[in-house]
Amino acid sequence: MMKSLFSSVVLVSVLFMNSFSEVQGGKWKGEGTTQNLESIVIGRCYDYIRIVNPAVGEKNCSAIWEAFKNAFINKDPCNILPDDYELFINLSFHTIPPNKSLFWENNQLLVNSFAGRGRRYMSLADTLFGFVADYLTWCGQANSTGLDYESCPTMEECENNAVESFWRKASATYAQHSSGVIHVLLNGSVVGGAYPEPGFFADYEIPNLQKDKVSRIVIWVVDDIEGPDIESCGTHTVKILENRLKTLGYDVTCTDNYKSVMFLLCLDYPDDSKCALSSSAPATQRGPISSDRGGSWNKLMFVSFVGFLFRFALLY
Amino acid sequence: MMKWKDRGTTKNLQEVILGRCYSYVMARYPELGDKDCLKIWESLKHAFIYKNPCNITSEDYEPLMELATHPIPCNKSLLWSKTSDVVHRYTKSNQNFLTLEDTLLGYMADRVSWCGDPSDPGINYESCPKRSECESNPSSVFWKMASKLFAEAACGVVQVMLNGSVEAGAFRSSSIFGSIEIFNLNPDKVSEVHIWLMHDIGGPQSESCSGHSIKRLKSILEERNFKITCVDNYRPVQLLQCVHNPDHTDCRLCTNTTATP
Repeated sequence: MMKSLFSSVVLVSVLFMNSFSEVQGGKWKGEGTTQNLESIVIGRCYDYIRIVNPAVGEKNCSAIWEAFKNAFINKDPCNILPDDYELFINLSFHTIPPNKSLFWENNQLLVNSFAGRGRRYMSLADTLFGFVADYLTWCGQANSTGLDYESCPTMEECENNAVESFWRKASATYAQHSSGVIHVLLNGSVVGGAYPEPGFFADYEIPNLQKDKVSRIVIWVVDDIEGPDIESCGTHTVKILENRLKTLGYDVTCTDNYKSVMFLLCLDYPDDSKCALSSSAPATQRGPISSDRGGSWNKLMFVSFVGFLFRFALLY
Repeated sequence: MMKWKDRGTTKNLQEVILGRCYSYVMARYPELGDKDCLKIWESLKHAFIYKNPCNITSEDYEPLMELATHPIPCNKSLLWSKTSDVVHRYTKSNQNFLTLEDTLLGYMADRVSWCGDPSDPGINYESCPKRSECESNPSSVFWKMASKLFAEAACGVVQVMLNGSVEAGAFRSSSIFGSIEIFNLNPDKVSEVHIWLMHDIGGPQSESCSGHSIKRLKSILEERNFKITCVDNYRPVQLLQCVHNPDHTDCRLCTNTTATP
């Protein structure tokens, strides 16, 4: 009886500890290297040059992978610097069409959708060097050529980690080669500011913009549909950004809730008053089954139900 | 090597397919972790390599289909016809629905082409047959089979996005949707079919939910015991269309949104 009780306690503790740390037995606190990283990077490289954007011409994807890998393997994973990716950038570099650069902060998914995979705009993730690494994790280890699949350092553990340094280098390169009208998409509903400092745009992109190649900087501040209007053009951190860019000598314009982007945000909130189209007559929008009410209604019902349960629980 | 009228096999096909398979499984749907991407690639290759590209059968693709298909959550299947651009922009922006191209099989094959040839190296990178040259070509057979399986896997409510600005009619019996998908929906699994009839912004309103071809579609589906609804210009998709036409009169918002500081 005691033995089985003891084993249950041990089992429960082990399970508890497992759920506590994502990476059981790993050195670091962050997720480990993405499985099959090499196949993914090489595959994406060819996908890009053959299908996504063949205009960039021929690239040596195996060499690109080697250069990428050599930036961080067999080194202290807390001592990887942006310039370690210099060769990778040289091999994967291609020009960015003028007027297509799109910078952003705190709205990655939105930017992905809005850019249209390079057709409307070319965000960093739509360049070859950004495309191959987007959403992936990687790191190596000192005194071993292997990748660490168990865990990788987080920013809190060390700044000079493989992933952070990659994006610093990629962002700087992207900014350096941007030209014409530059667009920046900021989130006006974020606590802590639409224009974060420190941040990638502030620290690695603005300093690398080329004054003689940039004709104008267009800032879009867009609030979440059901989010608070914390910041707008001319206020708080956006004002700081506008002033900084003007001081640097750029021609700057700023628009709140730019319509095109609003429409995209409205996809998840089609019934919000901010999203109502004056051309659509309500009667024709509702079929016998209101399938187009979708998300926002379901959310409303759910929230009401939860609220009811909560009040019920409080009473008893 | 035989000469055909369509573009040849995509260069570095193996790397592209493998990379997409791993990306899809690892980065997007980790619950599919048991998929063996190498085996999947091999089964695709063996479906067409060294074969006459006008003689492909569904048996050739059986092993691939077996390895790469996966269940689809109910109420999420989104079929489409003549709305490729907008339907895929929609599923990229809204993860509530899946088109065939959002499943592993469709994701790997999207915008890629392949065909074989009896002579070495067994793959034709120069050209591949168009449908008009022969029906049983690797691409047509693949997409027909994948579409059939996708329809069979659907459960609950099925959505369909059709184009009401097309002159020839929103619903065509000759399309993959009209000839394969509607006949492979399983009435024991699928409860309802919701049609979203979209017009191009500023485009002709050739047909609406009360139109001829839609009536025909409804009767085919009702005969198979499906409940049908139809909506003209399903709002969320119309909003998506407005992203690229923000100043069109059809895209005027009720409230003029200028932020109040």
